[in-house]
Amino acid sequence: MTVHTEPLRPAGLAGHPGAGLVPTETPLYEMRNICKRYGSFTALDNMNFHIGRNEVVGLLGDNGAGKSTLVKMISGINPPTSGEIYVNGKRTEIRNRSDSEAAGIETIYQDIALVDSMSITRNIFLGRELVNRWGFMDHRRMQEVAIQILGSAVQISGIDNPDKEVGFLSGGQKQAVAIARAVHFKRNILLLDEPTSALSVRETEHLLAYVRDLKREGTSSVLVTHNLYHAFQVCDRFVVMSHGTKVFEARKEDTTIEEVTDHVIRT
Amino acid sequence: MTAAHSDPIHSQSDHIRRAVSDRAKRPLTVKVMDWVRDRPEGGIAVMFVLVQLCCIIGALLFPESFRYLLPANLSVLLKSIAVPGIMALGVGVLMVAGEYDLSVGAVYSLLSIVCANLANAMLGDIGMDPHSALAPFAAMAVALTLGVAIGLLHAFVTLRFNIPSFITTLGGMLLWKGTTLLVHGASALRFKPTEPFATLFGGGLGIIHASMIWFLAFALLFYFLLHHHRLGNHFYAVGGNRNAAVAIGINPNRTKAIAFAIAGFMAALSGVIAATRVGSIQPGGGLGMELQTIAACVIGGFALNGGRGSILGIVLGTALVFTIQDVLLLLRAPAFYFDMFVGALIVIAVVMNTAIRRGRA
Repeated sequence: MTVHTEPLRPAGLAGHPGAGLVPTETPLYEMRNICKRYGSFTALDNMNFHIGRNEVVGLLGDNGAGKSTLVKMISGINPPTSGEIYVNGKRTEIRNRSDSEAAGIETIYQDIALVDSMSITRNIFLGRELVNRWGFMDHRRMQEVAIQILGSAVQISGIDNPDKEVGFLSGGQKQAVAIARAVHFKRNILLLDEPTSALSVRETEHLLAYVRDLKREGTSSVLVTHNLYHAFQVCDRFVVMSHGTKVFEARKEDTTIEEVTDHVIRT
Repeated sequence: MTAAHSDPIHSQSDHIRRAVSDRAKRPLTVKVMDWVRDRPEGGIAVMFVLVQLCCIIGALLFPESFRYLLPANLSVLLKSIAVPGIMALGVGVLMVAGEYDLSVGAVYSLLSIVCANLANAMLGDIGMDPHSALAPFAAMAVALTLGVAIGLLHAFVTLRFNIPSFITTLGGMLLWKGTTLLVHGASALRFKPTEPFATLFGGGLGIIHASMIWFLAFALLFYFLLHHHRLGNHFYAVGGNRNAAVAIGINPNRTKAIAFAIAGFMAALSGVIAATRVGSIQPGGGLGMELQTIAACVIGGFALNGGRGSILGIVLGTALVFTIQDVLLLLRAPAFYFDMFVGALIVIAVVMNTAIRRGRA
């Protein structure tokens, strides 16, 4: 990598508050001067954020820093109040899930986004059912693909029935289903919002290895996590948020786990 | 995936495939037992079969005093299931999407009166001379359209202002009840439509009344809609976990609005079919049907907070409730026993379903 970067100083001290690292090539995805307000409350304040090609970005910060708001914005279900979004350098409106799907973005949500009362297969294909021209579902084909997905993304202990209701799965199994779904449909960008919180050590290792494999295949990821050791295993760049703004940004080679920890704790 | 990972991965998919094919090879009895244990409507299916067996045995033992198997009784029983059944299909679909409609009884009365008045005004009464064969159909089309419109109005108020549909449709129930009295008054209304409308909706094959055929036809249609169509899948998603549905790109308001419209449509349809069957309309006739149909759905395994339920559950739930009513009538029990039985049945059904779910979780 011949990227020349300098770590950002805490917002307010630097010349451009929250500007952070400037992408050196056209990023896959970029947001500029993004604000999100709920009434008088500002959840995101002048946020700049980008995802490069073949890159894993670690999004860090304490609870309430605005990480989930940012992830929901990238995935389209939480449109910004103001600011610009660029996909492949082109100004793009991403205001709902269909927009982000068109941009090739898949998300694994912290609160999992599965419907407990529906089967694993139906959850995997929710909103993307395989249907004939009249809209009737092809159950057989969906089941076969579901079996392939369940076998490929992460090793899910103890799932042997794709017709099983998701509500009867353990937390880790649910998360694995959500991961398998996102991984199957991803094209350019995979967002992982606290993906390892319910996974076992072995499943976590699998997932992190998988994120690295995806990068090799050309899929960039954003990993939101509290666990800096997981982040340091896979991420190329770290963005630390606090109170809705970016307070620190650095490439892995320019920083240390201590420095990043310090920024997460201090701000 | 790297090559190093690929071996265990294939065995994982194969493992699932093997498990699936093993389950497909279970003996039929095991499959039925598993179905009864796993599905919310399974328990009610068992109860339904047991009640039917008891009735049949009772009727065979005491043919003089308990005339369950007489064609006349079976005919009455089937008729009594059909109309609430048609209404319950709409109510059930809406419940799957996570909303209620308490106004279906009032809409049933209002729109059957609208239909009859329009048909009569267009010379659709069989006693008129000259009379029109098309008039009842046109009147029915208007009534069904109004049913959809009322459903959409409930949807708009509920979703636009983000209030519980329980409140919207409770208000709707009183509003439409009042509207009925406003436009028509409290007197009974004659509805004797011309042919072929009368045969199509009031005729029958032997002991099977046309209303029952319509009920089964719509049950089949709704079965494919709810269990095999993309839209039905979205009903379950929106009712089961609204946030997940949004996150996955389903428009919850559009989906729920369609469900409200279906409930209104089915309420109107059941009203018109009931009016054709009886030949006259009592403005208060739909009173209480909203709770009966919700009761039938709950007994059939529907969850009150949405996302759960099946068409078979609606059919079995309605059939069970009205079989019990029929048996009580045959035993010449006072009418309040019916309410007591249905009340007890609701509680038992929900206790059973909750126990099943907790047992498996």
